Amino acid sequence: MKVYDVAVVGGGVVGCAIAWYLAHCSLDILLLEKQEDVCCGVSKANTGILHSRSYWTPGTLKGEVHLRSLSWFERAFRELGLSPLRCGALTLAFSREEARHLEVLKKRGAIAEAAILSPKEVLAIEPRVNPEIHAGYFDPETMVISPFALTIALAEGAALNGVEICCGKEVVAAEPSGRFLRIRCGDGTVYHARFLVNCAGASAVHLARNLGDSLPPLSFFRGQYFVLDRECQGFVRCVLYPVPTEKSKGILVAPTPEGNLLLGPNFEPTQGEDTATTRKGLLEVERGVQRLVPDVPLDRVITTFSGVRPTLPERDFLIAFSPSLPCVLHLAGIESPGLTACFGIAEYVGELLARRGLPLRERNDFRLRVPSRAFRECSLEERECLIREDPDWGKIVCRCEEVTLAEVKRALRANPPARTLDGLKRRVRVFAGRCQGSFCGMHLPRILENEGGIPVHGLRKSGPGSFYVLRRDEVAAYAEVR
Amino acid sequence: MPRSVDAEVVVIGGGPAGMAAALSAWEWGARRVFLLERNPHLGGILNQCIHPGFGLRLFGEELTGPEYAERYIEALEKTGVEVLTDTTVLEVGEDRRVVAVNREGVWIFHARTVVFAVGCRERTRGMIRLPGTRPAGIFTAGCAQYLVNIEGYLPGRRAVILGSGDIGLIMARRLTLEGVKVEAVVEIRPTLSGLLRNYVQCLLDFRIPLLLSHTVLEVLGKERVEGVVVGKVDEKGNPVGEKRLLPCDTLLLSVGLVPESELLKKSRIPLCPLSGGPFVDEDFACDVPGFFACGNVVGVFDLVDYVTESALRIGRRIGEAEGYTPPRFVLSPLEGVAALFPQRIRRGKDGFLYVRPKEGLKKARLSLIHNGREFHSVALPLCRPGEMIRLDLARVPWPEEKGEVQVVLRGEKHVDVL
Repeated sequence: MKVYDVAVVGGGVVGCAIAWYLAHCSLDILLLEKQEDVCCGVSKANTGILHSRSYWTPGTLKGEVHLRSLSWFERAFRELGLSPLRCGALTLAFSREEARHLEVLKKRGAIAEAAILSPKEVLAIEPRVNPEIHAGYFDPETMVISPFALTIALAEGAALNGVEICCGKEVVAAEPSGRFLRIRCGDGTVYHARFLVNCAGASAVHLARNLGDSLPPLSFFRGQYFVLDRECQGFVRCVLYPVPTEKSKGILVAPTPEGNLLLGPNFEPTQGEDTATTRKGLLEVERGVQRLVPDVPLDRVITTFSGVRPTLPERDFLIAFSPSLPCVLHLAGIESPGLTACFGIAEYVGELLARRGLPLRERNDFRLRVPSRAFRECSLEERECLIREDPDWGKIVCRCEEVTLAEVKRALRANPPARTLDGLKRRVRVFAGRCQGSFCGMHLPRILENEGGIPVHGLRKSGPGSFYVLRRDEVAAYAEVR
Repeated sequence: MPRSVDAEVVVIGGGPAGMAAALSAWEWGARRVFLLERNPHLGGILNQCIHPGFGLRLFGEELTGPEYAERYIEALEKTGVEVLTDTTVLEVGEDRRVVAVNREGVWIFHARTVVFAVGCRERTRGMIRLPGTRPAGIFTAGCAQYLVNIEGYLPGRRAVILGSGDIGLIMARRLTLEGVKVEAVVEIRPTLSGLLRNYVQCLLDFRIPLLLSHTVLEVLGKERVEGVVVGKVDEKGNPVGEKRLLPCDTLLLSVGLVPESELLKKSRIPLCPLSGGPFVDEDFACDVPGFFACGNVVGVFDLVDYVTESALRIGRRIGEAEGYTPPRFVLSPLEGVAALFPQRIRRGKDGFLYVRPKEGLKKARLSLIHNGREFHSVALPLCRPGEMIRLDLARVPWPEEKGEVQVVLRGEKHVDVL
């Protein structure tokens, strides 16, 4: 019987970060994810901003792990082979009262190069900003990263260092069995571990209940977004924030490392994990963004989406051991800045587990993740070399994002591998360009069958019910019933 | 090192436009003509259009898409045009340096003439900002057409089609023939977007309802589409309250086509904001010397016959190897016109002007105006956005003086489909 030292439940950014962090030590780690892939829940839909010190919340756990995380950034990016967009941010004030808040941000950040700027100075940096601004606060330390790229890099980095990642495993129960926990999944699989870390995100409270604990209820807030065409790259250079409110950081404009422009989110209560977009919500985002940059090219929208933030009543993160099972650690209410704070959360969780007896001995054979090359980022000479090595680099399967067959094949064979169209999208950006898959969606099913062993009629967009196409006989049978 | 190739003509795109352009360049004497196609076969979208209706104007007979394509593939085989399939063009420089890749490596063509025949793409859900969930089962009509006709799979069991463009109408019939229940074709405008003959042959004949002045307001379903909310809209396309749920597992979008002008932008070719494609003259030369564009990248044609007809004009102009002369006339739409091309006239002795009406009109009149004077007009008993007006340029008595020509389409408003 294999006994893991830690079973991390939930393959979002927090779960993956914890698994990756613990993988630095000589431990047997298991990561259980109920969906078909990592990064399928809360982590997949947010702005991807790595908020700087100016945005930490003093006197909260959320704030503490946020600050801890910042000191991890450079090491983590190096070990994970990630390069976030180091674009900085401008917070824009539209009244004297708002301008006063900029002082608060400046004081809180205490960043040497940060400055409060006059409208003229703001416009010199970002000429498209609404000229009616009162003042702006420039913060050079804000960065943007793709939330998929980060979460998947963490998962790959963890797997590379021995973490076992099992998808399609929903934990339904865990009970003590001798010195271990016996963890049961919905499909009947059983795992044994010394510790269980509940990082189930939107389902964290539900999972806690299954384990016999009652956590405060989560409420869900939805944020809707627009994604603009990569041709809009350079429209703005920094993240543009409005002055934050008690509720949220507001509707903002963010350039992304991939070259798109992200607009949003609004902030609205919603029922559970409802990630639909609405006409009203999108209109609200449109208005909010136009306030910051009046001539934002809204005719270049390529897609819209929404994400949810699971929040606790006190609006703070909860990271605490279970009152009933001393080897179960719950994490709940990890909303913004959860992505930014993921490394700090992992370190904090590591300390809590160590205090309960988990031996954290750093290993000396930790492997760095070498990121896969993106064809679109290579020079002509590099492309020529890649094609000579493997002709599949010369076959473009997605022309909007210039993704090659070689990249698709690599994603299908990665650990954890892409098994769905969404999984492939998050790894190599097919379906993520301006045609939104109307071209690559024609050819990918055949490629996935030939190269990934996924039969065309078994291909899914995401979860079990999300079939892509049907065989003729499946439809004929239905027509007869009708 | 990338391979460097000197070329007289590089044609980008091996669909009907590119094949005709390469053919005509060869026939007018150009040599070292390269035709670059990213798919494994020539023919472009024609290969997935297995329905008949192609070639009526050009050949006087009804062909399927692949049959139509075959005629040009065969004609090309008799020439020395070098066809590179499975080859994707990544960028075109202002100096007419064309960078392409295939399984052999990176190719750099130094071309005297570049012809863009890169076609168009379908508008997507994001572009029309269709709200709701984001499940599987939402396809652009052309993507679904490929999956059905080339791959042999079906997109679902019950479909709603948003938009009455031609591909949507064709797919309504195609899916019905395959046993898929097509609940309705929903069109936001008060008029049909596609060809009238497609409405009759694809919807009426199969009793598929067409809901004009309606749109899909919301997509429902978590993993797979479970239904769409369809509602009535006013003239501006805003919902007016009346709505109902149509259960379905598939939503096809046929909500318009846009020229694939991204490559042209990189080579700084001026684009027409109305058509989305480059400005061209009657020989389909762009505003920048050495560049041509033909087919649906110029603007979206409704018949492939017109695409071929227009692309075949390119060869003579290349053959004449004339220096760049500014156009005599610049056409600009003043009223009633959704798009028109060519927008420039150099000789005005032959070729055609294609005009897409903004709305349905009866007893209409298309006028060409120069210096406030109407110098040519044609009467049109009926015109619809789904069908382009084709004006023979040889019949136009062009004024002596150069300048701007305004194009006006006026008539009585006519919203009936038939």
